[in-house]
Amino acid sequence: MRRIAMKKHRILVLTMILACSASAFAMDVDIRGMLRSYTGLAFSDAAITANEQTVDLTLEGWGDQTRLVVNPYAYIGIGNEPEMGIREAYVDFFLDNADIRVGKQAVMWGQAEGAFITDIVSPRDMRSFILADFREIRKGIPAVKADYFTGPFTFEGIWIPQFVPSSMPAEDSIWQRAIPFPSGTPISFTEPSLHFENSEVFGKIRYFGPRISWEVMGGYAWTDEPFVTRVNINPDSDPTIESIDVNYGRYTVLGGSFSTSVGTTVIRGEAAAYLNKPFTVGELTSPASVTSKEFHQVQSLIGIDWSLFGMDMSAQYILAYIHNHEQGIMEQFRAVPEFGHTVTFRVQKTLLDDRLTAKVFSYLEIDPMNALVRPSLSWNIEDGVILEGGAELFFGDEDGMFGYYHDNSMVYASLRWYF
Amino acid sequence: MQNRRRIWIALAIIGLVILVPATAQISAEMVMDQVYTRPSGQDMQATLHMTITNSRGSTRERSIVQFRKDDGEVEKKIMFFTSPADVRNTSFLSFSYADGRRDDQWIYLPALGRVRRIASDKTNDSFMGSDFTYEDMGARHPSEDTHTLLREENLDGWDVYVIESTPVEPNNEYVKTRNWIIKDEWIGLRKEFIGADGSVVRRLSIESYEKIDSIWVITDMTMNNLAKNTSTRISMEDVSFNNELRDAFFSERQMSRGPRL
Repeated sequence: MRRIAMKKHRILVLTMILACSASAFAMDVDIRGMLRSYTGLAFSDAAITANEQTVDLTLEGWGDQTRLVVNPYAYIGIGNEPEMGIREAYVDFFLDNADIRVGKQAVMWGQAEGAFITDIVSPRDMRSFILADFREIRKGIPAVKADYFTGPFTFEGIWIPQFVPSSMPAEDSIWQRAIPFPSGTPISFTEPSLHFENSEVFGKIRYFGPRISWEVMGGYAWTDEPFVTRVNINPDSDPTIESIDVNYGRYTVLGGSFSTSVGTTVIRGEAAAYLNKPFTVGELTSPASVTSKEFHQVQSLIGIDWSLFGMDMSAQYILAYIHNHEQGIMEQFRAVPEFGHTVTFRVQKTLLDDRLTAKVFSYLEIDPMNALVRPSLSWNIEDGVILEGGAELFFGDEDGMFGYYHDNSMVYASLRWYF
Repeated sequence: MQNRRRIWIALAIIGLVILVPATAQISAEMVMDQVYTRPSGQDMQATLHMTITNSRGSTRERSIVQFRKDDGEVEKKIMFFTSPADVRNTSFLSFSYADGRRDDQWIYLPALGRVRRIASDKTNDSFMGSDFTYEDMGARHPSEDTHTLLREENLDGWDVYVIESTPVEPNNEYVKTRNWIIKDEWIGLRKEFIGADGSVVRRLSIESYEKIDSIWVITDMTMNNLAKNTSTRISMEDVSFNNELRDAFFSERQMSRGPRL
């Protein structure tokens, strides 16, 4: 408890120092932000599954060739200790043909919507599964990012000296997948130590053109989500599980993406190969068999965006493939098939002079058949004040990524106030 | 021999006397070409304030910082939305081509943190919930319509040509437009959009214009949607031309960085 208070104190002091620095040294300072109240109600038992109050501030200070950005936030959820943090805090240096960004930053790559293929630089905040806002789902990472611009080409390099894992749902969260081990089994996490050889590096070449834009990327990364490497059995009291070893592993990624337009339709594509990526392998019914093994995995996406009757539409097909697949490959205790097929679909329409936006975004996993459908209506009450209502509907096979949460289907309402 | 020469000269003079009035009668196409090619500088930047008034009289405000560059073949435009707060830092980049190719368009949404190419068939869609369409925010090429000179008259103290323009490609909002163009200055003073039933659907009125850096600029205009009883006023300030904007300014890099040069 004292540690949490100390941490909060440090965050506040850091924010104040950064704010004062911006005021003192930057020529121009801008403060903006958002307050959000969000309440979710489960269909299954009418339980209030979410009741969150969030304050998100962004302080931006400008010098002649520099920019300081600090993004602190505070959040209170159901039964949770209030959480305060700094999502991003970085300084930009703008040179003639190059930009350098130093500090805690969220990086967003790729062309996919609602999928993470080359967009793997920043770890994710998965505590609300994938329901968090697009920006909030990515965690800030301490990094140095450099972009060099020459004509339509950009060369980008990122060095991440300190490993930051994805945030996973708490044990008592409705988004936690059941761990197939006895409750209370000790779990031993091993995180990469703060050492130069444990840093992550990513690079990208981007071409921005009127007919087509494309990028090619590569990186040497850590798995941001943990995987089980071993289940330790007590041989004296068979079949007692003594402890579980959980780890993060290294892999190489190579990928790319493109976007182009054909008539009034935009075509997007993205693909990545994850080389020697570690997975948990084994039969959970036979814990002693559980181990980890490296595989090559490929994820690819093709998507189109178009308009019809004033509605913006988007469809994507995502293919995931594991080379030399074996029975028993798992990711977050979910079986990973050799081929995985997922389709997403979005339809969006603005009405009443852009005051009302109706939107449906859905994921459909083909095998096993399961889906997440996310209809929403947002009403712009006045400039900067938005009332939104919607539903998160989970359907289908419980072995699927989305069907597993069918008891979590809910309706929600949120009010956002931007300033 | 000399007499024959004199006869030819006399005939030429008579011919000129007859033909000059005919050629002085300007055609509708020439008027619209003059409007389209009116000097607009190599590049331009301005701040636009948009006031949208609904049928009940309540208003919403929008502010945009806009930059434009035209090399004769491609018009590049980048717009940064600075208010209201929920759209602040959103930016929109478009390339329009003189050869009639479809525009290329991109949008940067801070919430997404990246630039996305967008479908460019929104020409008749409302621009930011206003009474202007995306098409109204750009210059329509004269070849996209056939033009007829209806009459010449006086409007607000100016001698104007009244031109009727009919789209070559059918338009689902209007069947034709009427344009009031100031003689010799080539500024549109009023524009009406005529619906299929012959009624005026929307009317654009120019409230003020001035010469900035020797270039005529419309600094205040209002679009009235007569069918919906709504209106949108756009006023421009901090207008400047020929700032030697680099091509690199109209890029992904600048979209995410904001309007600072």
